Amino acid sequence: MHFSIFQSFFKGLKKTSGEELMGNIRESDLPGIGRKFEIYTRSGDKLAVIVHDDGRRELYHFKYENPDESISMVTLDDDEARNVAGIIGGIKYRPKLVDSTEIFFDDLVVDWLRVDGGAASAGKTIGELQIRKKTGATIVAVLEKSHKKVINPGPEQFIREGDVLVILGEQDKVNACKRLIFFGELNSGTPNP
Amino acid sequence: MEHLILEIGFAFVLIAAAGIIASKLRFSIVPILIISGLIVGPHMPHIGVLDLRFIKSAPLIDFMARIGVLFLLFYLGLEFSLSRLLRAKRSIIASGIIYMVINISLALALSCLAGWPLKETLIAVAIMVISSSAIVSKMIVELKRTANPETEIILGLMMFQDVFVVVYLSFIYGFVSTGRIFVSDVFISSVFGLALFVGVIFAGKKLTPFLNRWLNIPSDEVFLLVLFAVLVMGAGLFEILHLSEAVGALIIGLILSETEHVERIEYLIVPFRDFFGALFFFSFGLNIDPLALHKAVWVALAAVALTLMGNFASGILVGRAMGLSLRASTNLGLTIISRGEFSIILADLARKNGLLPIIQPFTALYVLILAVLGPLLTKESKWIYFRIERVLQIASKIKRPERSRYHS
Repeated sequence: MHFSIFQSFFKGLKKTSGEELMGNIRESDLPGIGRKFEIYTRSGDKLAVIVHDDGRRELYHFKYENPDESISMVTLDDDEARNVAGIIGGIKYRPKLVDSTEIFFDDLVVDWLRVDGGAASAGKTIGELQIRKKTGATIVAVLEKSHKKVINPGPEQFIREGDVLVILGEQDKVNACKRLIFFGELNSGTPNP
Repeated sequence: MEHLILEIGFAFVLIAAAGIIASKLRFSIVPILIISGLIVGPHMPHIGVLDLRFIKSAPLIDFMARIGVLFLLFYLGLEFSLSRLLRAKRSIIASGIIYMVINISLALALSCLAGWPLKETLIAVAIMVISSSAIVSKMIVELKRTANPETEIILGLMMFQDVFVVVYLSFIYGFVSTGRIFVSDVFISSVFGLALFVGVIFAGKKLTPFLNRWLNIPSDEVFLLVLFAVLVMGAGLFEILHLSEAVGALIIGLILSETEHVERIEYLIVPFRDFFGALFFFSFGLNIDPLALHKAVWVALAAVALTLMGNFASGILVGRAMGLSLRASTNLGLTIISRGEFSIILADLARKNGLLPIIQPFTALYVLILAVLGPLLTKESKWIYFRIERVLQIASKIKRPERSRYHS
């Protein structure tokens, strides 16, 4: 089959494509399903990772010579995927040969809080509550009840019942932030010693 | 009106049974709902308390089906994203155009052969070129082909089709719904439809910041009530303008798709779309007289044959042009064959506007055949590819002996 004219026409178009290339990782959109990452490894294999919009991950292993049929595949749910990511990233066990540069986080923690019905701050914005000013902790993400994710929310972001807040800061400041969200002010609830 | 609730309840039982059968058979629910609607209806006998004719409840079922169309099109509008298509690879747009040119020509040829008038032709073209993106993406996930090279192109093509159908519908609708015959009138109503579409998109962009603030309602309950009010009231207003409630629902979806609340809207609206949508497909089957099906058999079979040819050919052409292997191109051509929900919505629009009644049985048969055949061909694409490869090998062997004669 000869489609050389078509192929050269399409190659011209491909240069202006919207896909992103990062090193040996190719990233592309799968409308309606999620996003695809293809990793061409130095050892000569191809790994395709599909992140589904519903949270599932699929890993496919291809040989270079045959890109049409995968040799094996694994499906992970969201929890499993995060655990595997931790293992591969060396968080649970660091490979001995890898030259490690330790990063000191001090007592910096990331914690999350589900806003339940009784929380006094429900319906208020982050700005109104003056969270950073009063507690020193920062809300880095809000996972709304409707599954909408707001990364790095601004002061105009509403805190609503059912939201999950991701809070970053030192441990005592994160605790203060949780109190502020629950009681609406810092001094009530736990009496100051 | 004594047994009204019982009758509606029985319709729900049939719909739920269709759903159970569909999930047991791992099959699309749309054709099974249509079949269950076809089986019952005015031709059925009246057995005791169970009235299978659905005569008393017909106006209510029709009404809920109408709401179902609103939700289906509203959701299509929400999912629509011109900016996403423009961001996609330009080769996707080129493949979409190739697909459309081939398949629209074939659909036009069929309408000419069947001797349909212009309005019916315009609707039939849309019925025949739009794949069922629901069936297609479900098959891809089920057959674990998400990482395959052809999948990106298939899903891009589905996105292209969605955008195409939204624009096409706003273009032809003004003409199909009014009784205009003259060329100048056709031109005016089409331009009006398109201008309205573009105008709404621009106005929607301007409205977005206002809508973002206005829809910032913490309570899900109130949010849902507001959504329903906007959708049904808006669709009703469009009807007053003689622009059909369906197109109105689509346009309201388009406007809301630009707001930051789109994911929350989708999340809340999906159960309603599924419920009322199921009633719509059931009622579509109910409105067709099964005895009238035989009139549409030949034209439906011809349409199926043309769709198989056109889709497969354009799949191979696009796949090869994008540098895929013959095998991936075969997958591509066979996966896009499934037809479903959208063809039915279009046939329903034809019914509401008093077009030739043959369109409904034609579409029912066409969708029933391709909703079965499409997934089957997708599953067996490997087998079909090996057949094709075999034929190509035999073809090349026929040439080879001549060459060997020179060598020996």
